[in-house]
Amino acid sequence: MRKISEALRLFLDFLKLGCFTFGGGWGIVAQMQRIYVEEKKSLTEEELIDLTSVARSLPGTMIGNVAMLFGYRMLGILGGFVCVLGIIMPPLLMLSIIALFYTAFRDNAWIDAAMSGVRAAVVPIIISAAVGMVKGSFKYSPCILVMLLTLGLYLFLHMSCIYLVLIGAVSGILITEVYERRGENK
Amino acid sequence: MIYFRLFWSFLKIGFTSFGGLSMIPLISSEMLSHNWMTAGEVSDIVAIAEMTPGPLGLNCATFAGMRTAGFLGALAANLGVLMPSFTLCLIAAVFFARFKEARLIQNVMIGVRPACLAMVIGVCLTLSCTNYIESGGISVPAVVIGVLDAVLLLIFRISIPKVIMLSAVLGLVVYGVVLNPQCHFFFL
Repeated sequence: MRKISEALRLFLDFLKLGCFTFGGGWGIVAQMQRIYVEEKKSLTEEELIDLTSVARSLPGTMIGNVAMLFGYRMLGILGGFVCVLGIIMPPLLMLSIIALFYTAFRDNAWIDAAMSGVRAAVVPIIISAAVGMVKGSFKYSPCILVMLLTLGLYLFLHMSCIYLVLIGAVSGILITEVYERRGENK
Repeated sequence: MIYFRLFWSFLKIGFTSFGGLSMIPLISSEMLSHNWMTAGEVSDIVAIAEMTPGPLGLNCATFAGMRTAGFLGALAANLGVLMPSFTLCLIAAVFFARFKEARLIQNVMIGVRPACLAMVIGVCLTLSCTNYIESGGISVPAVVIGVLDAVLLLIFRISIPKVIMLSAVLGLVVYGVVLNPQCHFFFL
């Protein structure tokens, strides 16, 4: 019985998150950081980054993956399915309505004006998520180099995210290997 | 069976894409080869997906499903695009919980976290280009709204839904009234 009520609460939480998924998955991560890391404290900053990076490196939509990983962590398989269903429900219903009134929606100047404002909010929202991530990201100083390297590859060579995550994974192993050997020599 | 064909098409899209705009070429070829959308509709759906809640993949699935087979079609297409989350991601979640304590995974994460941060910064930069630069010049109202939102979020810790609502209202006022030539009689 407790499990069902918790599942229901997760579902409602993610239903609410689903109403505000502008700008792809990062907006969701920013909101999860506010709710679960800062307010409810049921997740640490590092755990959220780990969930995000795993979700990002798997195929499929990022919010579906984040919801599945987070839900599973909170409440097992039931939690995973409940979170995915919750988060997709608002966009599913909204787009269904828009598809029905597609042409009228496309040509409405007022909707276009409101959405221009919303688009301006997307970057600050993502930045607010990035600020929280900085803390857990630089355990050793070469991590800064990894960040700069992957940023360069992303921006200038448009390298796919899966390769960037792999580069990060290999450098993580190398960095800790070097630092642990140094630690043993002391 | 149209529902199964929708499901199958979006299953392929789901498994071969890594979210965001990388889905567009795949979606476009699937939609055009089945005659589910015209090329014009594909670019419209990208714009609509950007303007409404929800990621591109899910929004395209709903839109294509609705237009070819109604609400059940939309459900079938959504289910298809979500299959990687229900299968691969579930497997990852199981192993994630079990091996998170493992040393190797922790070491891997030390490098993956900065890479992940780099991708967030990269997304911010590319989105800034599309959201704040208009036909060659910097869009001043968009930058002003963006800076205001950043202050509200980072310093005053206003919640994200409230910031989105406020930005929508500001957009209506700025783009719909102040900058709208038809509304200039307000200032006469």
